[in-house]
Amino acid sequence: MSRSVDERGPGAPRLAPWLFLSPLIVFAAIFLILPLGFSLYLTFTRWNPLGAPRWVGLRQFEYLFTRDAAFWDTLQNTFVVAGGLIFIGMPLSLMLAAIFARSRGRTVWRSIFYLPQVTNIVAIAYIWQFLLDDRYGLVNRGLGLIGLAGPDWLTDGTWAMVSVVVVMIWYELGKNMLVFLAAIDGLDPQIYEAAVLDGASGPRIFRSITVPMIRPAMIFVTVTSFITGMGWFALILAMTGGGPRGATDVTALYMYDMAFQDLRMGRASAAAMILFAIIAVIAVVQFRLLRERAT
Amino acid sequence: MPCRSGLPRNLLLRPQSVWATASSELETLRSFVTDPGDCVDLSLDLYVDLGGIAMKPFLFAAVTGAIASSAAAQDQTVEVAMHYTAEQAAPLLACFDRYEEANPGTSITYQQLSYRDYLQTVLTSRIAGQAPDIYNVYSIWAAQMVDNGVLAEMPDDLATYVRDTYAGGTVDAATIDGTLWGVPTEVSVYMLVSNMALLREAGIEEPPTTWEGLREAAEAVTTRNDQGRIETAGFAFAESSSGAGVVHPYYALTFSKGQDIYSDDYSEANLVSEASVESARQLAALVADGMTDRTVDAYDDFPAGGVGMMIMANWYESAIREGLGDRFEDVVVSQIPAGEDWRTMQYAFFMGVDSGSDVSEAAWDVVRYANSAESAAEEGGPSCVGEMMNKLGALTANDADNAALGDPDAFTAPFQEALTDRAISQPNVLQASEIEGLIAQTLDTVIAGEAEAAPAMEDLNTQVEDILFEFY
Repeated sequence: MSRSVDERGPGAPRLAPWLFLSPLIVFAAIFLILPLGFSLYLTFTRWNPLGAPRWVGLRQFEYLFTRDAAFWDTLQNTFVVAGGLIFIGMPLSLMLAAIFARSRGRTVWRSIFYLPQVTNIVAIAYIWQFLLDDRYGLVNRGLGLIGLAGPDWLTDGTWAMVSVVVVMIWYELGKNMLVFLAAIDGLDPQIYEAAVLDGASGPRIFRSITVPMIRPAMIFVTVTSFITGMGWFALILAMTGGGPRGATDVTALYMYDMAFQDLRMGRASAAAMILFAIIAVIAVVQFRLLRERAT
Repeated sequence: MPCRSGLPRNLLLRPQSVWATASSELETLRSFVTDPGDCVDLSLDLYVDLGGIAMKPFLFAAVTGAIASSAAAQDQTVEVAMHYTAEQAAPLLACFDRYEEANPGTSITYQQLSYRDYLQTVLTSRIAGQAPDIYNVYSIWAAQMVDNGVLAEMPDDLATYVRDTYAGGTVDAATIDGTLWGVPTEVSVYMLVSNMALLREAGIEEPPTTWEGLREAAEAVTTRNDQGRIETAGFAFAESSSGAGVVHPYYALTFSKGQDIYSDDYSEANLVSEASVESARQLAALVADGMTDRTVDAYDDFPAGGVGMMIMANWYESAIREGLGDRFEDVVVSQIPAGEDWRTMQYAFFMGVDSGSDVSEAAWDVVRYANSAESAAEEGGPSCVGEMMNKLGALTANDADNAALGDPDAFTAPFQEALTDRAISQPNVLQASEIEGLIAQTLDTVIAGEAEAAPAMEDLNTQVEDILFEFY
């Protein structure tokens, strides 16, 4: 009689899968579920880490939604940054990908554009500060040489936001370009040959063939850019610190300051949950769009 | 005798420090092993707590070596956390060595925490049960630390010593609700700092003593390039993430008008008072009238010789010296330009002890020693802290130290004189950091011309009173 692999009866507990999964489960429990659960608990409390949390119910949310004008300003700034990445950054990445897809030395170009991604974000912030300094920056010095007074890139609220968005787009450009390049590379060259034989021009081919066929990549880049823009703050912290006068203060930075400068862990957790909810909604949109594409 | 409940905190809780201070900790370990009250599973405790396989042979050797030794007992370790680098704190570290020699039962470890992360590190270390014994507290953190029971009350004799020996305004900086919580160490005061070379070039022979005088001098000094950008600014604000470069001059002007920032019990803010609004207007008018702008930064541009005047604290002396070099002799420190009744703002750090310290008696003794003449490196010299402040170019409000240090240089003397009767302590209000952030942002908005002073300060007052209402 042959020996069965598993001699236990049906319904008997199977330990092996759990045993192999246990490192992951323990890791997730300690570094994901516990902090998330604790953060959720904190949203209902007032807590500076010096003392014990005090239960305040929904007051933190009430304050953020009804009394904290700065919170709404930061949300607006957050959407501006995320919007900049999508509406300026993504088309720019796509355009560059289309250009470099058929250019010579594409590997070199790809590396050059990807370089910011492997550079320390604080170093990047300082380099751009150096370039954009209102009085001594290379940009305004250069403009001065041709008799132009450049804008106050970092001390005027509007220009500071422009600067931040430009730098973020520059930072993300290479990464998104790679995604588009990979998508374009995956297209069948025969389709392009057929289009050329039919007399389609370059822009027409791009508009009518390339763009529709790389739609999944565009959805992916759109959604990831939006999520990145909504949650990212390191560059802004190092480059402008949210200033001038809160003009570049995004929600993630605002809640960081709330938690670690003002020691308002409860309110910062509530702000984090609100931001999390917004990003979660976007993620759902992403899944739906991708699902529509699949069907 | 009951088994000891734990080893010294630097052994149990700071594995990263083991290698750095191995020799002193070996001594500590030795004392534990030779003490009749030791736990028998000492080596196991260490192994588990330090959490590294590589530690075991080291610890085994340490324990073995310790048993074989009969060195003098050391039964307590005092951990000191300050924001000074080891180089800056050299006189203090030497002082700790002398203290250890004089007190064989006590060892002192020094931990440098960055100023920027100091409070957060303290919070984290307390949550983890690794709090240092002695803090160097910035006065605006004090209210929060006291409110949450972080600081221990100081012994009466030490409190009396502080009240008798330190300038009144500085004692206030370490006082919350009438209770003194530590010994003041570094003091900073704001004064008008002028580059007289630029002022003289513009026909101004003396630093201004009134706001009108400052405006005239600033206007005379300011020059612009072809694109209309300021080349030499008559006046400049300092750019800092905390907003201190704007808020502290505002405090100095408001104090000079006889106005406090808060009511005595901190339940109300006076930011909407006539004096407060007028101070905001005065600062804003400097930009509106073209004597400076927000692209000019006193921190960078004054040492570069591009600014005529700034309201700045004494601690910036070394940067100015370094930047101006030989031209430093043109720098003059003078009163806040607010007339005869001028006042200024000071803030201080003070050495306090953690309320949870299990060696609080020794910790207070270390604080007392480091700040008293007993710790002087030579007869008649200043205390260790006084010596360290002097080497840093910082101020101390310790009268005995100031007497021992002799006459200060021309740059420092006006700051020191202001400490005696002109300097008012930065308010020790709860959530001070958050409140000052709001004040800075509002002032910045007014100064940038994006809001009128009166309504902006009224809004600010409401926001600040909202915070005060939570705590007072």
